Amino acid sequence: MNFPLDNLFFRFLYWFVNTPGLGGLGVAFIVIVCLGSFAAALRWIARGALADETATYAYPTSAFHDHS
Amino acid sequence: MLRVDAQDKARLIDPLFQAGPRFWLAVAALTAILGWGGLMYVRQVSEGLAVTGMNRPVYWGIYIVNFIFLIGVSMAGTVITAVLYLTGVNWRRPITRIAEATTVFGLMIAGLQVIVDMGRPDRMLSMFIYGRVQSPLLWDVASLTMYLLTSMFALYVSLMPDLGILRDVLPEDAPRWRRTLYTFLALGWRGNREQWRRLERVTRVVSVLIIPIGISLHTVTSWILSTTLQPGWHSTILGPYFVVGAIFSGIALLFILVTIARQASSLKFYVEPKHYRNLGWLFITMSIAWFYFTYTEHLTLVAGQDLIEFPLLASKLWGKDALTFWGMALLMMLAAYVLISPLLFPHRWAAAPFFRPRVTLAAAASSGIALALALLPQTQAIVAGPTTPSLTMALLGTAGALALAAGVSALAWLKRHVATAAVIASIAVVVGMWLERWNIIVPTVTHPRLIAWTIYAPTLTEWSLTAASAALFILMLLVFFKLFPIVSLWEVAEGRIVDEAQARIAIPLPPESTPPRWQRFGIRRKLQ
Repeated sequence: MNFPLDNLFFRFLYWFVNTPGLGGLGVAFIVIVCLGSFAAALRWIARGALADETATYAYPTSAFHDHS
Repeated sequence: MLRVDAQDKARLIDPLFQAGPRFWLAVAALTAILGWGGLMYVRQVSEGLAVTGMNRPVYWGIYIVNFIFLIGVSMAGTVITAVLYLTGVNWRRPITRIAEATTVFGLMIAGLQVIVDMGRPDRMLSMFIYGRVQSPLLWDVASLTMYLLTSMFALYVSLMPDLGILRDVLPEDAPRWRRTLYTFLALGWRGNREQWRRLERVTRVVSVLIIPIGISLHTVTSWILSTTLQPGWHSTILGPYFVVGAIFSGIALLFILVTIARQASSLKFYVEPKHYRNLGWLFITMSIAWFYFTYTEHLTLVAGQDLIEFPLLASKLWGKDALTFWGMALLMMLAAYVLISPLLFPHRWAAAPFFRPRVTLAAAASSGIALALALLPQTQAIVAGPTTPSLTMALLGTAGALALAAGVSALAWLKRHVATAAVIASIAVVVGMWLERWNIIVPTVTHPRLIAWTIYAPTLTEWSLTAASAALFILMLLVFFKLFPIVSLWEVAEGRIVDEAQARIAIPLPPESTPPRWQRFGIRRKLQ
């Protein structure tokens, strides 16, 4: 059986895996997503300091979750 | 202002601002090795890969062996940080930072190996400009990048509360640049309840993510080999084999680094024999799994009887690759023996004279002499006659028997010295796993399809760059732990509170039930 290149989906797959440069774009995409989400997570943690709480702790305990 | 336990401060923060002559000597020695490696690299770039032992068809050599080995040892961080964190294992706390740093720096040096292997570093750009999605090399680049970034993030997130503490309790005479560094990196950390909650949530998500990413990296690295048709590589078992080997070598390197840090710093107050015992159980499990996968990998070669693949197996078993193959097997057997045998050794036998260290040393020395008599040509000439096969065999047999006696008599000592036993096993595993990576790469590239066989021997350039890579890895760890605490301050403080709370809980015994003997064997009363 021949490879069904007349099918649009398989034509897309063939183009996707064989086109030079798309792999590099994929890596760039991964880097951007990773760095973006990590930066957002760090910002989210840092902004936790703005919460209206006066007490600060050098380490956490499960009591933070059990008695909130 | 965040406070820290006075003892923790004295043990973990104050040494960050005291660099003795040992530290500077180590930095100087490592920098010298690195400098030599740099010179050799410049030579390699200017003269080309002809200065290495690589040539057609041996496109991959010691650099790729180092790459796969370093990718493997980076698994330590994933296991310790993520798996033990998610399963709530309390004893992980003092070793998490070393494990995370090992992962990050191991991955960085692994990435360098690929660039060094390319000969022309500028060609790395071609990977991105012309890279196709179908290429396993590209999958590896993607996976390595993702794993490195996630590991760096995990390390940084766990460091944030410590940076806040460092900023607040810095000694008065601390350099100004350090204060600026810690203040900047702490990102305004306060340690209020909401911030802790957010940090824990992020840590949990990263721990869940990093396990599949880590497994993907180790399996994708194996796909680079197994998606080719080269003998010995075209196998689906390489994926899990790489993962098992990675966890195994990762724990081994962690054992060594923790022990060095324990000797050289205040880590001895935090890392106890229970850490060695607990990690040792994981180590034994991985050891058994590794032996099983090694057996399976070679079983398929034996059972297949393929004309292309069988010469590769023959080369490993009795050919030119036999030394590295059996060297690996012996080192792994030594590691398994050192780990498992003391557990089976009864305490009451330890008093017997045979189990004294002097007997071990005497047997080991005698074994060495017998081996030298059997193998060294000069000694053979002196002993007049042992050139005859029977006498050589007798000497080899004596050496083996004496080595076995030394191993058995060392059991009592190994049982008493858990940490030393773990380090002996770890050194054997680290060297053995490097040889395993060699045995995966080199025998195949020297026995490729279409070409009968060829040889590969690394040159001075390759050994120098390997030594420089090791030096850079150690130097990075050394400098990192001179800037940041080797033990996570907040994690050990939390662990201490948890341990104290658990110690206060009196767990009652279960209700007693002593059924009569006849009931325990299922005999009913009416039968009596």
